[in-house]
Amino acid sequence: MKSSSGSAGTKYPGLHPLPPPFVKEFPPLAKVVEEKCIACDRCPPVCFFDALLMYDEPSHKYRRVARVVPEYCTGCGLCFEACPVDAIIWVPDVDETARAAPLKPPPLEDQDI
Amino acid sequence: MSLTTSFVGLTLQSPVIVASGPASHDVNQIHLAEEHGAGAVVLKTACSDKYEHMRYWPRPRYKLLDWDKQIGGRSKTFSLYSYEQGYSGTLEDYWNFIRVCKEHSSIPIIGSIFADIAEDWRAMALKVEESGADALELDISSPHRPGSLDFEHTFVAAIKAVVKAVHIPVLVKLAAGPDVVHQSLAAQECGADAVTLCNRIRGFDVDIESQQPILHGYFAGIGGPWAKYYTFRHVTEAAQVIKIPISGTGGAMTGEDVIKYILLGASTVQILSVIMVNGWESIRRINKEIEEYMQRKGISSLEGIRGKALQKLTHPDQIIRWSGEPKTGARNVWKFTEHEE
Repeated sequence: MKSSSGSAGTKYPGLHPLPPPFVKEFPPLAKVVEEKCIACDRCPPVCFFDALLMYDEPSHKYRRVARVVPEYCTGCGLCFEACPVDAIIWVPDVDETARAAPLKPPPLEDQDI
Repeated sequence: MSLTTSFVGLTLQSPVIVASGPASHDVNQIHLAEEHGAGAVVLKTACSDKYEHMRYWPRPRYKLLDWDKQIGGRSKTFSLYSYEQGYSGTLEDYWNFIRVCKEHSSIPIIGSIFADIAEDWRAMALKVEESGADALELDISSPHRPGSLDFEHTFVAAIKAVVKAVHIPVLVKLAAGPDVVHQSLAAQECGADAVTLCNRIRGFDVDIESQQPILHGYFAGIGGPWAKYYTFRHVTEAAQVIKIPISGTGGAMTGEDVIKYILLGASTVQILSVIMVNGWESIRRINKEIEEYMQRKGISSLEGIRGKALQKLTHPDQIIRWSGEPKTGARNVWKFTEHEE
């Protein structure tokens, strides 16, 4: 967290938004199901962290496809609503092993009811 | 004609400030804010060590509600439901963060902190000042704060302790609600230099298919374009009674919204949701829209229109009621008494 320069994006370059040990242990978890993607360009503008990009893909039905750049994805959840065909999925929903273990919960007196 | 705004002793190139949140969590974002014409940046709120769990964000942490999937980024009615909490580094990281932000940018940097006991508030405020921040915002109204902390018992003491300790301007960020006016007055009395109206409110939503609360099953901060209407009202109410400047925030998506805030008495306007869903370019667009308005209206400085709409604020007693029929009930009392006289 102390370094001021980091990975080079355009919208969200620099420090990783999560503390480093957490990121290494639990990698970001959004993914585009490429067969479903209709290359509509709606998700890249919504991603605040520059983690969704359109790629040229000659073998795809629409010749282009959206993909998640894992290094930039913070797993924030904004993109799910942007996809009109629900092609963006949350990996733990389909893969039990990718589910992050919960962090230690806050002390009880701090959880307000 | 210029957008230059003077706020708590700072000179800002624009009244548009990047609000505390994910768009001010990182040093390089400060460059982006500056490059796109933001007047200042309020950094992401750092929590005291007691609230260490708030530094770890659950994933996913956002959900866009009522987002029109067909028109995407042009959606004008949506809510950003967020369970993101504090700055994700340690306090030591935060002081460094402020230091590096100051070294690498020329726009004012406003620190933001959250704690519970006055001693923690004071110690953190001193550190923020020492790190070189131009001002400090006390985030006493975070939607994620524990409900056991209340304004009278915790935060008044905190504001007093901080104001006494630091020499930089202190902003107090208040929550929307019936207490805005009296809390603004209290903040002014405690010596705050400005108030920020209003923080996101706490919202909640349920998924009817799974019959469960959405996201992580707990209340989250909720905001969006709709939030401007109640904030306009709070800014109006506060602007009439307090003398310290107001930084309006909530739902500002366009230059028009910013102008409305200023017409109602705000000095600066903080934006965030629009940057998140439409990108950094939004700041430039908003500045341009304000400039176009000023040109069209022949205004040389925003100071000339600050609070102008307040002059036409009409008390309910003075609102002329419909009176086309014989007086029948309490609604027509005002007209009725006039006739008697």
